[in-house]
Amino acid sequence: MAPLLEVKNLHYYYGNIHSVKGIDLYVDEGEIVTLIGANGAGKTTTLQTISGLTSPRGVRGEILFKGKPIQRLRGNRVVGLGLMQVLEGRHIFAKLSVEENLLTGAYLRKDAAGIREDLGEVYALFPRLLERRAQLGGTLSGGEQQMLAIGRALINKPRMMLLDEPSLGLAPLIIKEIFIAIKKINSEGTTVLFVEQNSKIALATASRGYVLQTGEVVMHNTCENLLNNEDVKKAYLGM
Amino acid sequence: MTRKKTLLMAALAAAALIVIYLFLVNHAPIKLRRLALTGVMLGCIYGLIALGYSLIYKASGLMSFVQGDIMTIGAFLGLTFFTFFRGLFGTGEEGESNVGTFILSVLLTTAFAFLFGILLEKGTIRKLLNKNVMAIYVVLATIAISYIIQNGAQIIWGGIPLPVPSVFTVLFVQVIGVRIQPEMVLCVILSAGCMIMLHFFMTRTRMGTSLRAAAMDAKAAEACGIDVSLSTGLTWGMAAGLAAIAGILVGPIYGVYTMLGANIGRKGFSAAVIGGYGNMYGAMLGGIILGLAETFVAGYASSTLKNLIAYILLIAFLFIKPTGIFNERAIQDV
Repeated sequence: MAPLLEVKNLHYYYGNIHSVKGIDLYVDEGEIVTLIGANGAGKTTTLQTISGLTSPRGVRGEILFKGKPIQRLRGNRVVGLGLMQVLEGRHIFAKLSVEENLLTGAYLRKDAAGIREDLGEVYALFPRLLERRAQLGGTLSGGEQQMLAIGRALINKPRMMLLDEPSLGLAPLIIKEIFIAIKKINSEGTTVLFVEQNSKIALATASRGYVLQTGEVVMHNTCENLLNNEDVKKAYLGM
Repeated sequence: MTRKKTLLMAALAAAALIVIYLFLVNHAPIKLRRLALTGVMLGCIYGLIALGYSLIYKASGLMSFVQGDIMTIGAFLGLTFFTFFRGLFGTGEEGESNVGTFILSVLLTTAFAFLFGILLEKGTIRKLLNKNVMAIYVVLATIAISYIIQNGAQIIWGGIPLPVPSVFTVLFVQVIGVRIQPEMVLCVILSAGCMIMLHFFMTRTRMGTSLRAAAMDAKAAEACGIDVSLSTGLTWGMAAGLAAIAGILVGPIYGVYTMLGANIGRKGFSAAVIGGYGNMYGAMLGGIILGLAETFVAGYASSTLKNLIAYILLIAFLFIKPTGIFNERAIQDV
């Protein structure tokens, strides 16, 4: 069976800067996969290019989602296909309430009753959002904002969710909570690809991993094997 | 919580209005009452223009100098439609009521202006932004377009101010004991109606919320499936529609001429700053404050000072409180 997401020889150019240099990767339906690597390895650019959030002029190569090429589509079209991204740095709508933020994630859905139901499910997953539903997004703590960002993507019932640095700037306890939620979302059927600088938690959460270095995939294996790899241990796990 | 806050503010505003009303009716001399009414009327017009500036700033981070000239187009177009429909439906008799045809003209003019606003954004602003030019060049382009419209209007409609036929059969109505043109009352009612409708559209509908979301964070909005490019175009369209409504509403009061919008448009900018540049409610309040300030200066000091007060207030606010009454941070954090 063809993978749900397949990236073939992807390049990205920011003007003259060649930041992604021929990446190949795939994610099968139901999988949870991670991209790890140092700052500037091209993780965010790769993810945003998949979601159509980078300028299409800089993209070379092919991105197939459900077998269809999507590398020329704008971001809002990609969302319509069932691929949603939780952006790095959360990008909460600061002056919309928590509930408005969530409902904005369901912008493309037309079934009001279904949206209500899924709103309930998001609140069930993150009860703290229910407590703060009328509060403005900008007044939430970092952890709550991350929950809101994930909830905003989840409410659209995506076939696949991309997450960019979900642990960024959060306290260890909150990070744990966030990753438990991500695993739960995955176990309920959403395919997940996430980028993470915290390699330890990334490899503990995902089933497969890609290691990126200066815009290229230097290693690809199951997380179990990556955790036991001496180079990975030294470079990314600090052992 | 936010809803409670809005309700509280609305209640406070209503209470303040009642107090002002009672004061005016029972204690104020007739001159003060007259000035207050004119000020509110003028303030509504400034408010409509200022709203457009704020919407555009929020959606694109830009300042458009075309706003005032769209008002001029609105005034001329409104007059053209109004005259046409009066000929079509009316009997042409002196003193007949034209409210229906006037409303029809308002709607048509607004629709045209809305399309013009979208075309302006899609055809020029977006094209320039896609070339990655600096924001200042886009603003300069709007100045050029503004002059093109002013001179174009002069070519089409001529340089002489045109009178607009009266809308109502009566020449005067009594409001708080002052005789004023009924068109002024219509102007206030329709402007207030527009503002209230805009408020509910922006805060209570999915479409409006998505427009606000796109203005707050374009990338996040796109990641939610919102067509940000379309949202920006619609917002420019709404700004243009509001300006055109302002134009057609002042037509019967001041007459219609090519510099109408340029003069009022510049002051509307000042109103937007007073209220808090980029804040919808600030734009409305700033407009009313400016309208009142202007008419009171004209009434109690001198009418030559009248045209200065908008700019004095503008500079004063920029120095003392650049975030305006609603404390809107116009300058983005980098």
